[in-house]
Amino acid sequence: MDFLLHFFQAVKWQDLLDIALNSYILFRLYVLFRGTSAFRVLVGVAIFWIFNKLALSLGLVVTSWVIQGITLVAAVIIVVIFRNEIRSVLQAKNLRSILWGFPQSAEQAPAEAIADALFEMAHSRTGALLILPGKEDLSEVVHSGIPWQGLVSREMIMTIFWRDNPVHDGAAVVRGRRIDEVGVILPLSHRDDLPSFYGTRHRAALGLAERSDALVLAVSEERGTVSAARNSQMHEVKSKQDLLEILEKHAGATTAWGRTKRDKLEYGLAAVLSVFLIIGVWSTFTRGVDTVISMDIPVEYTNRPADMEILDTSVNAVRLEISGSGTLLRRIQPDQVSVKLDLSKGVPGSNPFPVTPESVSLPPGVLLKDVKPPAVDVTLDTTVKKELSVQVDWVGKLQDPLLIAQVKTDPLKVRVSGPARALSTLSAVYTEKVSVDQISRSGTLSARLVPSPPSLKLSPDKVTIEYIVKERTP
Amino acid sequence: MNYKKYRFFLALLGISILLCGKGFAQESPSSSSASGAEKPTLVQAAMCASLKEGSPCNPGAVFPVSQGKVLCFSSFDPVPRKTSIFHSWFHRDVLITRQKLTLNSPRWSTYSTIQLRESDKGPWRVEITDQDARLLEVLRFSITD
Repeated sequence: MDFLLHFFQAVKWQDLLDIALNSYILFRLYVLFRGTSAFRVLVGVAIFWIFNKLALSLGLVVTSWVIQGITLVAAVIIVVIFRNEIRSVLQAKNLRSILWGFPQSAEQAPAEAIADALFEMAHSRTGALLILPGKEDLSEVVHSGIPWQGLVSREMIMTIFWRDNPVHDGAAVVRGRRIDEVGVILPLSHRDDLPSFYGTRHRAALGLAERSDALVLAVSEERGTVSAARNSQMHEVKSKQDLLEILEKHAGATTAWGRTKRDKLEYGLAAVLSVFLIIGVWSTFTRGVDTVISMDIPVEYTNRPADMEILDTSVNAVRLEISGSGTLLRRIQPDQVSVKLDLSKGVPGSNPFPVTPESVSLPPGVLLKDVKPPAVDVTLDTTVKKELSVQVDWVGKLQDPLLIAQVKTDPLKVRVSGPARALSTLSAVYTEKVSVDQISRSGTLSARLVPSPPSLKLSPDKVTIEYIVKERTP
Repeated sequence: MNYKKYRFFLALLGISILLCGKGFAQESPSSSSASGAEKPTLVQAAMCASLKEGSPCNPGAVFPVSQGKVLCFSSFDPVPRKTSIFHSWFHRDVLITRQKLTLNSPRWSTYSTIQLRESDKGPWRVEITDQDARLLEVLRFSITD
């Protein structure tokens, strides 16, 4: 109870939005991938992740590393192996169905007609191969299908597999109430433990069952039997009733997209679980206060009065002691943390500005524990303008017996604007260092002026130097 | 009777005019003193390495530290009466030394000097001021290698 109370007191609206958004994303992923093999493997990866956390908390370092490695590899493998399935889930749906739609009920294949047709053909020893796809995409497994798009009926099936029909050798694909494709070529099974009486048709049926979740029904023209292959297993179907059961079971697996009562209950449970899972993850990331770190953050100054300049500051950066979960603090970047001091109330002279929690910006979930120093002393000064003489800063060694007898700059004086206090002690603006090493006769050169302190603004910032060189008299 | 009476007033008037005239005559030089006529006039100022026959030798604006010393020469003419001036030496706006120099009438030349060390390299200026802190001249120069 205390936990809940603390939780609701501590959370901000951003946290609630964070949880809601991620819970919805997780729930949508469940809705989209439910029933697919990728989803089952994803659940496996999630279990691995939980084991990893458990191993870490128990201090099983090596176990944790191994599980972490397996989880990482598995995540990559999922994307590679199930790329077609993931693509078919995402491509087959429009944006609406991805974001908030629920899968509609697929039409059930008319089991009665299929069972009738297959046993009729078995009786007349007419070979047939019928595919009822599951959730997985078959486009990468089967080839050379001819579009048919005929409604399923006993007569239609028998017509397709009639000996003189050009497409009777291939398989027919039944999707919903329609025969989608005919003359489809299937991959053969390479197993060597199959009975010798299994011909190409049975090997093809098993080949597809090994590679997908489809139900494949085969009618042997030699033996007049009906066989069903699914999940790498093949067995003979003795009666029409058995076949109907198999078809209904398969349809039950494939039409779980329907929003039946059971589905609604499942979706509701998934939604609640998504919220709890995200709250758990969110708490792990943001609510832990087990770690404390220090960061040196440069101080930024805002709202400086227009007629004032910053003359000096007691520090350039402050040390923040922040706490939060280790995961969150490890990911924190210096640009996510800032310290901004409002100078709008500053006056000329020394101004102590306290570093309050309001002036420190931190990422969500990170708490400020301490600031060193707790205040920054900012010396402000009014901006004034002044004319100062220019003086050349000569360096180097002049060749003997030469002497620079006279120096004149153009202009003689420059306009300088800056803090009053800084300007009050200045009587000249110096040029950059000008070397006399190469000077051998009178001439002119140009040099930049160096503002000191750098906050001074000079106009112009460059001067021409005219110098007269003479020979030194003994 | 009347003549005698007027003679007394005329005598008083005459004395008054005489006194006033003397008063004006005395005020005139004092007011000219206030306007600076008694201040020394700077006629020459230069930075140099040495003096030769009382004049600056090789005046310049850049001096090598190896020459050991540098002089600030200043010459005044006239010097109405004995007075003092100041040579203030600044290295990059920092006052290093302020030397008081005496000027004698009727004309006078004087100088101040500093010994140069390696740390003295950089831009310098010497401000020449009178007793009333009136700036007479600023000389700028540099000490180099």
